[in-house]
Amino acid sequence: MRSPNIAGRTYTLMVWTPILPGREEDLRSTLDGLDRTRSPLLRVPRTHMARWLIVAGMPVPPGTKAQDPLGGPFLLFTSNFDGDVDSYLHELCELMADEAAAIWSHCVGCPRPPEGAALKAYLHRNQVDAGFTFAAYRDASVQQIRTALDKRERLIDFAVRAQDMEPATRRTAFLEEFGSA
Amino acid sequence: MNLPAVAPDAPPSNVAGRTTSITLFTTQKWWGRFFMPFMFTASRAVPKTLDAMDRLSFISFASWTLIRELPYNGPPQTVRRLRYPHLFFEVSFNGSWAQYIDSSVRVLTTGMFSFWSSSRTFPGPLPASPFQRFFKSHEIDTSHYYCAYPDATVTIVRSALALEERLDMFAHRAQNIPEAAFDGAWDAFLEDAQRFL
Amino acid sequence: MSEDRQLELADIQGDILRAYGNAYDHTSYAFVHIDCPPEQARAWFSGLLGHVTTAEPWAQKPLTTLNVALTASGLAALGVSDAAIGSFADEFRQGMAARAQLLGDAGPSAPQEWEPGLGTGAAHVLLTINAQEAEDHHRALGRMKAAMRHAGGVRVVSQVDAQLLPGAREHFGFADGFAQPAIAGATEDKVPGGGVPEKRGRWRPLAAGEFILGYPDEDSNVDRHRRLPSAPRAPLGRNGTYMVWRKLHQDVALWRRTIRAAAERYPLGDAEKLAAKVVGRWHDGTPLETHPDGRDPSFDASAYGANDFRYGDDPDGRRCPLGAHIRRSNPRDALGNEGKLSLRHRMIRRGMPYGPPLPDGRLDDDGADRGLVFVSFQASIFRQFEGVQTPWINDGNIFGLGTDKDFLLGDHSGSGKMTIQGRKPFFLTPQETFVVTRGGEYLFVPGLSALQAIADGAAG
Repeated sequence: MRSPNIAGRTYTLMVWTPILPGREEDLRSTLDGLDRTRSPLLRVPRTHMARWLIVAGMPVPPGTKAQDPLGGPFLLFTSNFDGDVDSYLHELCELMADEAAAIWSHCVGCPRPPEGAALKAYLHRNQVDAGFTFAAYRDASVQQIRTALDKRERLIDFAVRAQDMEPATRRTAFLEEFGSA
Repeated sequence: MNLPAVAPDAPPSNVAGRTTSITLFTTQKWWGRFFMPFMFTASRAVPKTLDAMDRLSFISFASWTLIRELPYNGPPQTVRRLRYPHLFFEVSFNGSWAQYIDSSVRVLTTGMFSFWSSSRTFPGPLPASPFQRFFKSHEIDTSHYYCAYPDATVTIVRSALALEERLDMFAHRAQNIPEAAFDGAWDAFLEDAQRFL
Repeated sequence: MSEDRQLELADIQGDILRAYGNAYDHTSYAFVHIDCPPEQARAWFSGLLGHVTTAEPWAQKPLTTLNVALTASGLAALGVSDAAIGSFADEFRQGMAARAQLLGDAGPSAPQEWEPGLGTGAAHVLLTINAQEAEDHHRALGRMKAAMRHAGGVRVVSQVDAQLLPGAREHFGFADGFAQPAIAGATEDKVPGGGVPEKRGRWRPLAAGEFILGYPDEDSNVDRHRRLPSAPRAPLGRNGTYMVWRKLHQDVALWRRTIRAAAERYPLGDAEKLAAKVVGRWHDGTPLETHPDGRDPSFDASAYGANDFRYGDDPDGRRCPLGAHIRRSNPRDALGNEGKLSLRHRMIRRGMPYGPPLPDGRLDDDGADRGLVFVSFQASIFRQFEGVQTPWINDGNIFGLGTDKDFLLGDHSGSGKMTIQGRKPFFLTPQETFVVTRGGEYLFVPGLSALQAIADGAAG
């Protein structure tokens, strides 16, 4: 049966890693220090969306004595990407090596040094399967989406210009712009 | 006078362009441990379950997971099997938080809410305010959120994909359309394509 | 199972549920600043209360009417406690100027450019005076100013005098103000077209609580506990409402030039039609949706059912463009789902044009200050005013229009175009800034008992 993590061509990955005692603040700074306008995840181009969250504790059912169901804070990394998880984790560890090391080195069981095949195996071991996933554009890759978005912008531009063109020149102008599509 | 702080200009850490990401956990009533897996299986088997959500065209990714056990990495990790199952929910959507709640509560009422019915303290789908408080109170802060196409909404992406198909086909045909006939063909193309522009 | 109480008209201020009407064609909006201790200010404030017009039906039309509204800083200036003010909505307490980014008030519309007295916290009390005749108007203004001089410690920091234009048009030439929400127990005559669209062409009125606090709103009606919407705490909230006030400058010459130039390239009609496509109605108010090719000479905006149309049969915007102004500001059934995504975003609008009209046919600006004082009433500024302004006016995504903004109101920072759908679609571009915000405030319009409580220093 198909993995519940898969929706069309996209895969939803969840990696839960416990944070080493006393390292939660350091990890928070590391994450807050990531460039928001040029995220390191840009370098992992198969990524549609991804997040890091620090889960300090889980809610407890009402009426129960306050306790920490997790036994300590966890780092949660989730990602929606194209294709298979094995090659994605490989890319994540290769193309974003420095940041991956800086982040996961705060976690229990992380290999030292936190890099390469060892890091990839660590992340894979800590993967938790989703129950049910939904993706709005199941069959479109990041690249396809970006290309399509760009074409749309160019077509809008062209359609506005074409309005005022001499009919005789429209075909040429169109092929110039979109001919090699 | 103690006025509330004005929203800062920098977007919050769970917002990228026009997309917002929300992650939350709820604890389950005792029967959730059977009900949720059943819901997951049923939804996978009947993809039409989420048609209403799909049609609203504002959620790009969503996932639901029943967390009962976590991978074990040795000490000092103490917990692997959780005492209570927790429902984990993550969603990326366009529009404001208020719009998200409005759409969920008013349109996705019955279907979607089967996913919440086994969550403790779930107040029911309507009215909006209690549901919004339920959602917010279970939210986990995001430290870093990345989106590959932050300024494009689900609707724009879908339009772009649908448009691309048509554009590619037309561009291919256009090579062979004589000059005199191009205008008519362009008009026909544009009439069809206008709703994606 | 409805146990709705009757609307307490004697306690609700006038002009909210039912408009005073076009006979009151002179209006002044005077923002008063309090420069004295609260006790002194309350003495002046008490003097106003006997003159405040209520929502009760009139036996005889008064010569003038008076309404009173307060900003958050105004509540403080009158001595209302921080705790009581804290029970008001967040966006009201922040004030409109602080929400500029959200509202699209940028560039020339940014609060830094606003007229003196507006958006700075200086505006405390808004007095709205309506009159049928100019001389009564002047007399009422004179009395107001005399009372202020006599009291001391209060002065006007901003004032706009507005007057209806002939034909109840606004400055771009469109009949305005007649399309309003149908409110249960108050304006049932507006139900066809003004209410919530239901199946088989039927309409139902909106719950009064969408517009007046202390009554069930649409959400209360689907809540098993029938909880009322959140409101400022007693005695301030009940029978009150929130008010949005914006002074919108209109560049009429620019509008005329832009439409005229674009109309030369528009193959399917003239400037009048193009303008109608932008707005969604012909100049006389005839809806494009029912009359896509030409206005209806017999159209009477005030007739019962004149506003009865919906967009369900026009999903591609061939009759009324998807981004037309009225389709954006009140989508009716256009968002599908039986109007469920629209029904919580309705506003009562009571604006008035200000400034002299630009003579017909003139295409260059004469430098006069003219435009629209936009006034709306709603139980939630965030949901009903901002919830339209940000996603529906200043963006096109929900309508499948990407980043297109409302062509009439928006600036060029979106896509800069409007698509006029049709067999041959037409792209209206460039988008100029026809409307500039010159100032604005978020206010609260208390019920009469609440006004009294404030005046008595008993508001908590």
